[in-house]
Formats: sequence, structure tokens, C-alpha cells
Amino acid sequence: MSEQVTFKLNEKDVTVPKGWTVMQAAKRENVSIPHFCWHPKLSVAGVCRFCMVHVEGARKLEIACNLEARDGMVVRTDLDEVKEAHRWALEFHLINHPLDCPVCDQAGECGLQDFYMDVGKYESQMSRPKVLKPKAINLGRELVLDTERCILCSRCVRFEEEVTKTNALGIFDRGDRAIIGTYGDEKIEHNYQENLVDICPVGAFTSKKFRFKQRVWFLKEKSSVCPGCSTGCHIKVHGKPDIRRLFRIKPEECDEVNGAWMCDQGRTMHQHLNPEYRLNEAMVLDQEAGQSFPGTQGALAALLDKIARTQVDNIALLVSAQYTNEEYVSLFDFFIKGMGVSKVYLWRTETEQTDNFDGILLRGDRNPNTTGLMQILRDYPDVGAKTVMNELSQCIESRPEVLIALCPEIPSGFPDLKNQLQNLSTLPWVSVWGVHHDLLSWEFSHLLPMKGFIEKNGTFINHAGKEGHLTESFAPMVSEALSVSEVIDGLRRIDANGPDGQKGVTDGNH
Amino acid sequence: MDEKTQVKILTKFEGVPDSRSLSAYLQHGGYNSLQKALTLQPDEVIDRIKQSGLRGRGGAGFPTGLKWSFVPKQIEEKYLLCNNDEGEPGTFKDRYILELSPHMLIEGMAIAAWAIGAKKAYIYTRCEFYQEIAWMEEAIAEAYKEGYLGKNIFGTNFQFDLDHYTGAGAYICGEETGLISSLEGKKGQPKLKPPFPAVSGYLNKPTVVNNTETLAAIPWIIEHGAEAYQALGTEKSPGTKLFCLSGPVKNPGVYEVPLGYPLKSLIENEGGGMLPGKTLKAVIPGGISAPVLTPDEVETMTLDYEAISAAGSMLGSGAVIVIPHDQCMIELLKVTLDFFHHESCGQCTPCREGTGWLANLMNGFYDKSAKIQDVNKLHSIASHMQGRTICALSDAAAMPTKAIIEKFGDELRSYIKQGYRS
Repeated sequence: MSEQVTFKLNEKDVTVPKGWTVMQAAKRENVSIPHFCWHPKLSVAGVCRFCMVHVEGARKLEIACNLEARDGMVVRTDLDEVKEAHRWALEFHLINHPLDCPVCDQAGECGLQDFYMDVGKYESQMSRPKVLKPKAINLGRELVLDTERCILCSRCVRFEEEVTKTNALGIFDRGDRAIIGTYGDEKIEHNYQENLVDICPVGAFTSKKFRFKQRVWFLKEKSSVCPGCSTGCHIKVHGKPDIRRLFRIKPEECDEVNGAWMCDQGRTMHQHLNPEYRLNEAMVLDQEAGQSFPGTQGALAALLDKIARTQVDNIALLVSAQYTNEEYVSLFDFFIKGMGVSKVYLWRTETEQTDNFDGILLRGDRNPNTTGLMQILRDYPDVGAKTVMNELSQCIESRPEVLIALCPEIPSGFPDLKNQLQNLSTLPWVSVWGVHHDLLSWEFSHLLPMKGFIEKNGTFINHAGKEGHLTESFAPMVSEALSVSEVIDGLRRIDANGPDGQKGVTDGNH
Repeated sequence: MDEKTQVKILTKFEGVPDSRSLSAYLQHGGYNSLQKALTLQPDEVIDRIKQSGLRGRGGAGFPTGLKWSFVPKQIEEKYLLCNNDEGEPGTFKDRYILELSPHMLIEGMAIAAWAIGAKKAYIYTRCEFYQEIAWMEEAIAEAYKEGYLGKNIFGTNFQFDLDHYTGAGAYICGEETGLISSLEGKKGQPKLKPPFPAVSGYLNKPTVVNNTETLAAIPWIIEHGAEAYQALGTEKSPGTKLFCLSGPVKNPGVYEVPLGYPLKSLIENEGGGMLPGKTLKAVIPGGISAPVLTPDEVETMTLDYEAISAAGSMLGSGAVIVIPHDQCMIELLKVTLDFFHHESCGQCTPCREGTGWLANLMNGFYDKSAKIQDVNKLHSIASHMQGRTICALSDAAAMPTKAIIEKFGDELRSYIKQGYRS
């Protein structure tokens, strides 16, 4: 164990590892010290001068963020002198702030608002014209900057220096004319832009995708795991279940996986789950009768009927690595253990450079659960699962009579998905399980609407073997959607008491 | 004046023909102190400077020997920086040292470098000092040529390289860590402390930053001994200091007097008194960041760190600005605050916003929108800017504001009451 120090924080003894600052200790102890420039994952700037605390014996108030906790130190955050310093520090931040909260996207999650309620609540003394600065600056693919709202905490500048190491941002000019900006007309181009929106404690950086879309206090926040790559960043999904709409994804702090960050690509992972992109209901295609939408039960019965009438050797599974461990177990138990299906293909693409890594978070393997899938397959030793890449040619050339395809939920790692689906549709009878409305564009024999990653419980295992847990955070955006496990459960139910007498599919005696 | 007040340390080359030349410097015992210092252990040199009681002449008055002793011994790469930025309005003493004898500075720096174990030093000079820069360059070249700089100085292993760097005019680059940032090629803004420069300064190496006047006093102290230096001045403010006397006095200029010298005498004797028709309204004793003194305070004030500080002001850089009876204090405060508003680097919120707010409020006296309560508001804003920031610029704006309001607030109030007329 490393060396510890003990000091008094508001009369309570607090023990922390040597080297910790009072700010870190206070955060752990849930003692609120107002701050803007300090961020747990960035270097200490000590410029907002908000986090003043009283240290016994010190000549003046000290900033908690740069104050190393020492044995025997006596720190107070609750003295009138400290509160007065906080109130003034906040007022200095606000005198030139435009106070345009009614049109600012940050309202509701703004440090200025929150701290005003905590430590402010004063009558403004500012009676002079405010300093005016450039507004609505297009600073990148995802970013708009309002330098008037900016409080110059420099978090964004440090993020660019320390996290992405792109150094795209600087503070130009000085005094109260200082503004954040890029050099010349340069735009920020990296894949981590929206972290700047997250760490901006005010409404200076706003997200182009989220601007003017929704008031944040109407949003429900749910924890989940990003399905965008094998890193599996811990995330918070923000949506409005009452109107069946998801609005944004933000990172959730997790030291072991993603720190406080996530990539911009990950932040689009909710988009395909909104109702207009979804496969709404199950579809069955009959050679003569054409497309029909028989409801979930009808479609499951049709699937069961088809597999019951097919030689097990002519049934194949095509599985992408974007489903949960629990779903794979239930799928394989039913088809492999129960029915004896032995043709299993793993659906990948050549663009998945599994070893690729951008040095921050994004990994080449754009599937969240490759590790989980591979681990589970080991429990089914009789199956030699084949990995099929481009064009799915191996799978297609084997001409299965019935193919069950677990379509990738996240198409971003599958740029060739449309061609692949086109090729699949040439097989005699394919049941595609997926979330996308687009699936109706091909003549598949059978389609099942699946739940997305935030609509089901389950586990992903990331590239490093760390589990990430999905929770059924939001009701399905489309009511008919199922998880793989629910599909299998449905098949088993029908199989057990089905109306058409095709019992015993999983008994191996058909 | 008695004999003691006539000791010339920094100004001993006044009246010496061709005083900037190496030959003149050598004729007056130049570089003997360096030779002597090199026979001492570095720690002995530090001890002598500590004993002398020499305090930093840039404004803060920090004990020089103590500052040197903070530098870690075990680290090889260390730097000595000379702060020759001289940005405090009213100050023009460092340039006078370069005008009289740049070799005195070079020798002082070489001794300081020996003491702290630095092999490389820079003089950071205000860019407007183009003439002084030329003289300094000449002196550095001469010193290199004659072996007072470079390798094996006086046949020892001591190696010392000296170069200079020119600022771009920012006041904040006269703050020691702002100076370091600037020298590193970064935006000139002060660095968060701790770590202090003695531990992690220029290029994150141990660094000592000393003012020109401080360094120029070193050779004399080594030559004459700490006791001789201590015998001058007061107990807590030993030695002599340059004072820059400006304002409507008969003989404005730079004067070297022992610390503890009466302010009134400086104005009356050295300065020759007020110009005809002018009477004293106030004195700013240490550059415009120093709170003003009233004529009553001036009567008994002595020029040393402790006396001025006891009166709530500061000795600062020694820039004594005499304010005459017809000087409008609103105008004085406005130009002061415009200056700090312009010069705030903007990283710390209370300073960035506070200097702007104060200057903005002063505009109200000109656009006739100022209210009586603005006078107290100025004071209360200033109070909450003080002691809250990384460097002292915020305090430098706050202190004179508070003093002017405390001592001359009625002048501001009556200006508003009388319909914006004085």
C-alpha cells in the first residue's frame, strides 16, 4: 500500500494516498468544492480560482485543485470567508457571460447555473456594457463555439494537448479579450470532438448533432456500453421514452475502460435505434402470396415450421459479434445443442482490422462482443465455426437450404453490408434477424425485428476481457422488437405446445 | 548628507569616462569579485549573500540568498535568468545600470551562476531598450573575448555562458514565471505554483530569476563583505537601492540611496523639491501597483521595505512617482486601471474579469454614467481580486484602486455629485 496522509476536511479526518490534492480527496468524500477548470482526467490549470479553501495557518485562501493534502493539514470549505470567495469567484465568471440560458443548449447541465444555485444567489452588481465576442463559430464537424459564453477554463485546450495530442486549440489575445480558437481557419478534425462539448462546463462548445434538439431536463439518462467497437466504452444514453426517441450518448466515467472519454463515432450509436430506422415487425415472404406481416407469433411459427421441415445438415447460422453472451448461449443451445446444427459462420468483414487502435479508444474490431462470442463458442466443441469475410462467399457457396442470419446491429464496421445482404438474398431461404428497416429492401424469406443494445439486458466482453453490462434501459423504440433470447424462448414455447403439431424440433428426431 | 548616504554601489560608475567599457570596469577593480567568488565554495557564496540581507530589487523584496539556497544541488542542468524587463510604470533603474556598467551585471550574474551551479544564463530584456541591448551585447562580446564568460573562467573549471533575449512588450513577462514562459517561446503568462522556479522553472529545470539591480549588487557584496553591505540601510532592508524619482520635481531621475532614507529627503534633496507652483498631493512610492501615500504619510516615511509596508503600501521597484495638487485622481485611477486591464494575461478569472470590470467602471466617470455607489463598488471588486490569483497582477490592480478610494474617495464622489465636474 502506498503512503497515506491524513488531514482534516471540515472537521472530519480524511486519509488519502500521498500526492492527492485536497480537491481529489473532497471529491471522494462527496464534499462539494465549486470548480470550473479542474477536471479529474486533465492536468491542473488552477486558473478559474473558484475552488478556494481555507487552510489553517495559511496567509490566504488556497485553491484546492493544486493543494497537496499533507498530514495534519486543517482544511475548511464551509467558512463564511470561503463562501464569500466562492460567491465572488462566480460573479467574476458571470459579469461578461451573456446569460442567454433560454437559448443555450447547456442550460440544465451548466456549471454556471448549478454553482449559482449552490454558492451564488446574489444580485448581480454588473452595471456596465459587457465584453462582446464572436459567436456561433464553426469549429469542426461536430462543434460550434460561442466565445462569449466561454469562461476560459482551458479544459478544451488541455484536452487537445493531453488526450488527443492534436494541440488544435489555443487561447488568443489576453485579459478579458481572450478567446478560445484554432490557428487560422483550421477546424478540429479528430474523432473525439464531442468530448470538448462534455468537458466544457458552460455552453461555449455545443454539439452540432444535439443543438436545439431537446431541453436536457426532459431527457432520461441510462447507463450502457457502447456497441461501436471492441473497447466497449461505458456510456450514458439520453432519450425520451415517452416519445420513443433517443437523443445522444455521453461517456460514463470508468477508469478501467474509457476514463472520461468516448469517440464521436460511438456517439452515433443510438441513431439507428430511433423508430424511423427500425424494422417494425416480423415479415414472412411467400413465393405465391408475397410479403405478409403475420405478427411475432406467426413469424416464429413460420420459422419453426421451416426448420422442422429441413434436414439439419442444410441449416446454417450466420452470426455477427454484436449480440450479448446471453443471446449467443440461448441461440447455440437451441440450434447446436438442441437441433444439432453444425454449420456456423462468423460474420465479419475485411475492414475489421482487429489489431488496429487509434491510441485513444477506438479499435479496429467494430464489434463489441467478439471476445464473448469466441469464448462461448468454445463450449460447443463439435462446431467448427468458420469465419466468413467479404461477400460471405464461403457461407453462400455452401448453399444452405435455410440460413439464420444475425445481422450486425451497428453497420459502421460493415461498409459493404448492402452488398453482403444482396448476396445473402440469393440463397433459397434466409431468415434475417436485425434492427434495420432497410432489411425490407431485399427479398429475404423471413425477417425478425430485433432489440437494440439499449433495449435488452446482457453482457459484452471487451477486447481486454472486461465485462460490460447492458441493461434494458429504455422500452423498445418499436414494440415488436425481440432479443435473440426472446426469439429462442418463443420458438421453444411454440415447439412445446404449437398448434401445428411440429413438436420436437429440438429433440433431434425430425 | 553624511558619508553613509553617499556610498555608491550601483552607481559607482557615474561620471567615469567610457564607463561601459571593459577597460574602465577593470580599472575600477572589475571582475575581482568573480575571481574571489571562484575561490569560495558555492555554498559560501550563498551564505555571504544571505548574511548581507540583500533582498530582491524587482519589487517583491524576497531575500536573494534564500532564493538561491532553494535550488537543488544534485540536478546538473540549472538556469539563471536576469529579469531586465523593467515593466512597472514609473521604473527606469535597470536600464540605468546597463547605461553605466553592463559588466557589473555580467559579473554579478557569473557569481550568482557559480553559487547556484548554473552554466547558462539569459538576460530577458525589455524590447524598447534597444540602445541598452546594443551596449549589453558589446559587453557580453568583450567578456567572452577576455575570458570572463565561456569556459575555464579564471583558469577554473567554471563554465558560464550568457545570452540575452528580448521580450515583446508585455508587462506580465516581468513576472518571473511569465518571463520563463516567454523565454520558453510560449505565451507570456505566469505559471501555477507550486512547483516554484527554484525546483522547476525554465524548461522545467531549477531556475533562479533575479532582477538586474539585485544581480548588479552582488560583486560589491563579495568584494566588501556582507557586513559592509549590512551596515548600510536598515536592519531588515540592508544596502542601497536605486529610486526612480518622477513627477513635477525639479530634478527627476535615478538616485542611489541607502534603504531607510527619508522619502521626503529624496524629494527635497535629490529631487530638488516640487516645481514652482506645484504642491504635493500624493506619492506613489514603488511603481503604480503600490498604494498611494498622502502628504502626511510622506512626511515621516522612510524608503525601506518595512516602513512602507507598515503604511499599507510597498517599496516595490523603487519607482517614486510624485503626484501634484492639480492631478485629478480619477484620471490617475483610470490610466492605472486601463494599464492593468490591457496587461492582464487573462488566465485567472478574478484578474481577467476584475481588471476589465474596474476599467469599465472608470469609463463611467467619462461617459457620465458613474453612480455614487460605483466608488464603493470599485473598492469591493478590488478587495476580492486581491490574493486570489496565480500572480500578483491582480493585486497590483487592486491595491492602488483601494488606496485611491480610501484616501481620495471623496474626490471621486464629489465629481459625480457635482454633475461630473471637479
